[in-house]
Amino acid sequence: MYRTADGQEIFVIDGHIHFWDASPENWRNQYGEGWIRCFYDYHTALSPAEYVWPFEKYCKYSEEDLIKDLFIEGYVDIGIFNSTYLTEFFKNGFNTHVQNNVLKQKYPDRFILCGTFDPRWGEAGLYEFRRMVAEYPIQGLKLYTAEWRNGSRGWKLTDPMAYRYFELCRELGIKNIHVHKGPTIYPLNKDAFDVHDVDQAATDFPDLNFIVEHVGLPRLEDFCWIATQDKNIYAGLAVASAFIRRRPRYFGEIMANLLSWLGPDRILFGSDYALWSPRWIIEDFMAYELPADIKQEYGVDLTLDIKRKILGENAARLYSIDIEVHRQRLKSDPIGRRLQAAA
Amino acid sequence: MDSAFAAAVRRRLEEVLDPELDESIVSLGFVRGLELKDSVLTVTLKLPTFWCAPNFAFIMAEDVRRALSTLDGVREVRVALEDHFAAEEVCGGVNLGKSFPETFPGEAESDLDALRDLFRRKGFIRRQEQAIRTLADAGLSFGQICALRLADLQLAGDRFIVAGEGGSVSVPAEPITRYLKRRSEFGLDASPEGPLFVDLSGRPFTPEGLAAYLRRARLVRTSLEANVFLCRALLAARNATEGGGQNVPHG
Repeated sequence: MYRTADGQEIFVIDGHIHFWDASPENWRNQYGEGWIRCFYDYHTALSPAEYVWPFEKYCKYSEEDLIKDLFIEGYVDIGIFNSTYLTEFFKNGFNTHVQNNVLKQKYPDRFILCGTFDPRWGEAGLYEFRRMVAEYPIQGLKLYTAEWRNGSRGWKLTDPMAYRYFELCRELGIKNIHVHKGPTIYPLNKDAFDVHDVDQAATDFPDLNFIVEHVGLPRLEDFCWIATQDKNIYAGLAVASAFIRRRPRYFGEIMANLLSWLGPDRILFGSDYALWSPRWIIEDFMAYELPADIKQEYGVDLTLDIKRKILGENAARLYSIDIEVHRQRLKSDPIGRRLQAAA
Repeated sequence: MDSAFAAAVRRRLEEVLDPELDESIVSLGFVRGLELKDSVLTVTLKLPTFWCAPNFAFIMAEDVRRALSTLDGVREVRVALEDHFAAEEVCGGVNLGKSFPETFPGEAESDLDALRDLFRRKGFIRRQEQAIRTLADAGLSFGQICALRLADLQLAGDRFIVAGEGGSVSVPAEPITRYLKRRSEFGLDASPEGPLFVDLSGRPFTPEGLAAYLRRARLVRTSLEANVFLCRALLAARNATEGGGQNVPHG
């Protein structure tokens, strides 16, 4: 909950969080180390100095770190676990739904748990997928198309087998699909960050919602074009939101483009915790005003009402969360009680 | 390596672009080391992340090799990629003159020409948007901008003098020069009477059409510039946390 200077309460859903284990004991090979070192560079490149962690902590942080950084000090009411597997790089996975579920069980109203599928699991995986949904409180999916698997370096949402899983999502009532592109995908000669497969899948499954994480960066332009075509495509702000401190003008231009191409109802806040801590991003975001020349050129504004939508209302709608009801419930959960005791 | 030779190497490397960012690999700080030994010139590149896409890494490595292989006193050019997940494959392939599909058998369907072309086009749009913006900032209307011919530009030092109906204006040359350079690579009408601004199929703009076109073009520019910023910031962070090595200084 963020409280404005005049006492207005803003409900915050962080649409992109992780609880990862990248400790050296969990590295399967040099790629595990390469992965977390790359994340750490993102962390140090964009975080304010006082928010930079030592590398050791960054590899593996505690439950209490997460609870404090998100809920106690970070204004977040609900976090969406974008489970990430990377089992070819990390022995136990990076932050699988199984790992994330530990926190979901302790604080059920504070987290939304995403599972996943991979079309390369084939037919046999359909059964595993059903079982995952039956055994875990899965409310959405996180798909990472550049995941390596048995010598393959990626897949596309339009793979025929992926469509079988989307059909199963329909049957099982899973509506929200978070998608992230990465640098490797078959075939390697194509642009791995291309989001046109999301366009095709979103057209073919108009009853599913596709949240494109990182607003398609580094392909913001392709993302905006496909999102203009398909109204079930949403913008996940993680990474773009972290530009706000070091490059507020780029952040403004990205926001102006999103507001002008998608409108204010399809943009979801995300910090990508622990890549970055939500506290400083949300404080900067609430204080942010689009530069006057950008407002004029694009004909858009980032008003308090729009900030409220981006920070919580849009994600609440996708996940059928009644903010008023949920707000009351959160007051009495263990984190809510901690917050009240501290107030 | 004497300083004249090093300067010649540097000039050629400045012409090598990161295809995705449309910026020189020298100004981006990717060139990490140069070594000449027994007429073998080794260029070490460090990209912003361990995970930078192997296809773009391959293009840069290939372009470095091409740019330097005709230098006097160079028998062979080798490219090394520092701390990259696919360094062995990419450098192994490029240094033996292999194509991309030969380097990644079973993982690539074709060479990288289509990918190069796609990003040259994006770069064209970004450069064009910046050139048009430069002229609009100097007070030219869309109507005036659409009516400009190549012959209407006169270079004067680091400025262009642009002839127009209501007198001439002076604008910074660099954004226009960058655009003209890319424009010349697409086989578009280059005669003095040719329109300064055409789309990629060679069609000139109408003032109304230009407004809609610019709306998309500035999105391409935003995306590329955000990406350039992120890559620079990541490389700086990477060098700070990992240390070691010396970037080739750039001005």
